[in-house]
Amino acid sequence: MNSITIKTFSSFIIFLLLQVFIFNQVNLFGYINPMLYVLFLINYRFDRNQTFFLFLGFFIGFFIDLMSQTGGAHTIASLTVSFLRPLLIRNAFGVISELPKSFKNDPRKLNRILFLFLFILTHHLTYFIVIYFSWDAFLLIISGALITSFFSIILVLPISFISKTSK
Amino acid sequence: MQRIINALVQYRNPIIYILLMVFSILFLSSRSSFHKNKLEHLGFYISSSLYDFSSSINQYFNLKEINEILLKENTRLKSLNLKVNAPFLYNKYLVSHKRFPFLVKDANVIKNSHLNQRNYIIIDKGSENGVKTEMGVITTNGVLGIVKSVSRKYASVISILHKDLKINVRLKNSAAFGSLVWKGKNPREFAIEDVVSSSKLNLGDTIVTGGMSSYFPYGIPLGKISKLENDNNTGYYTLTAELFENPSQIYLGYVIENKFKDEIEFLNKDLK
Repeated sequence: MNSITIKTFSSFIIFLLLQVFIFNQVNLFGYINPMLYVLFLINYRFDRNQTFFLFLGFFIGFFIDLMSQTGGAHTIASLTVSFLRPLLIRNAFGVISELPKSFKNDPRKLNRILFLFLFILTHHLTYFIVIYFSWDAFLLIISGALITSFFSIILVLPISFISKTSK
Repeated sequence: MQRIINALVQYRNPIIYILLMVFSILFLSSRSSFHKNKLEHLGFYISSSLYDFSSSINQYFNLKEINEILLKENTRLKSLNLKVNAPFLYNKYLVSHKRFPFLVKDANVIKNSHLNQRNYIIIDKGSENGVKTEMGVITTNGVLGIVKSVSRKYASVISILHKDLKINVRLKNSAAFGSLVWKGKNPREFAIEDVVSSSKLNLGDTIVTGGMSSYFPYGIPLGKISKLENDNNTGYYTLTAELFENPSQIYLGYVIENKFKDEIEFLNKDLK
């Protein structure tokens, strides 16, 4: 096992525990739980194996679901967003010959923020669609996804920038 | 084989995604009865609409068969319907209902017209099907004509739209008799002749076949009185009737056979 794999697994466990024991208990305004673990999926290096990443995305959602007694919404949302990540990267950073090696390495701030927005919105939208799973709840899905995305972004944005400067 | 493996390797991410997604959906439905219920509804909706689609296609291919079955049933019902009117003539307490002498066969109209003063119709049943000359031809709501000549597979029919064809009619509510003759212009406008002015008539009275000829049984509805004029000089009404059906727009008819026609005609000849 090299250091990158160890780093990945340790951050996997840290984000999992943080999400389950702290951020799932926030219940801001009664129902908003910012999702920090998305940052794990964002920080995974862009040049690493995508197949392995799919499994990571699946398992982090799966364990969160298991430990926080929710249905399967986290699993489906994080799996879907992991699958769509190459597409989101291409949309946010443009089709260029040199893709950034990871989220932290890219110097362009605007693109990074755009990527963050796209990623979190996709994830949350999938999550709320699975949670409500009904046409009648269309407005609830949209509003839930937008509001929770807002708080997740407020939480994730500073952390992602701090971790860059500390490197 | 190598190609299949290559394709699998190339598309491993979507395949893994779909597999994991199926697993997550199973996981979701096992943990939440709400989602299980919703997914079952969705599955039911999809399968039912698929079944609907396939059954509508099947129905389309079965249409011809169904049509034939319906036609047969219609023929049977038509003969029953004619029989219902029979007691007026053949009281069931006096004679057994087997006494009703008419048989019904269905036929398609393959040529029809109303442009001449003397029109003829061709139907697709002939001597092979037991059609003979001088049989009556009726429709759902009226009379079509009388068979004039028969070939092996076809028969020509003197249309009711023929100036020389007179059909014995009576009124449903009164016992007045008369003859129905085409006026020669509008295919629905007919004259009723020979109704005595002493009988009581009203506008809108229903006209039915009279049952006095050997061609048609009593009680086939034909039309209603649309114009009424009592001519005191001649002692007869001048009546105009409007048919329920336009005889020039008929595609389906029933040939009716009177089993005892020969007997009646023998007696008629005797009288002359």
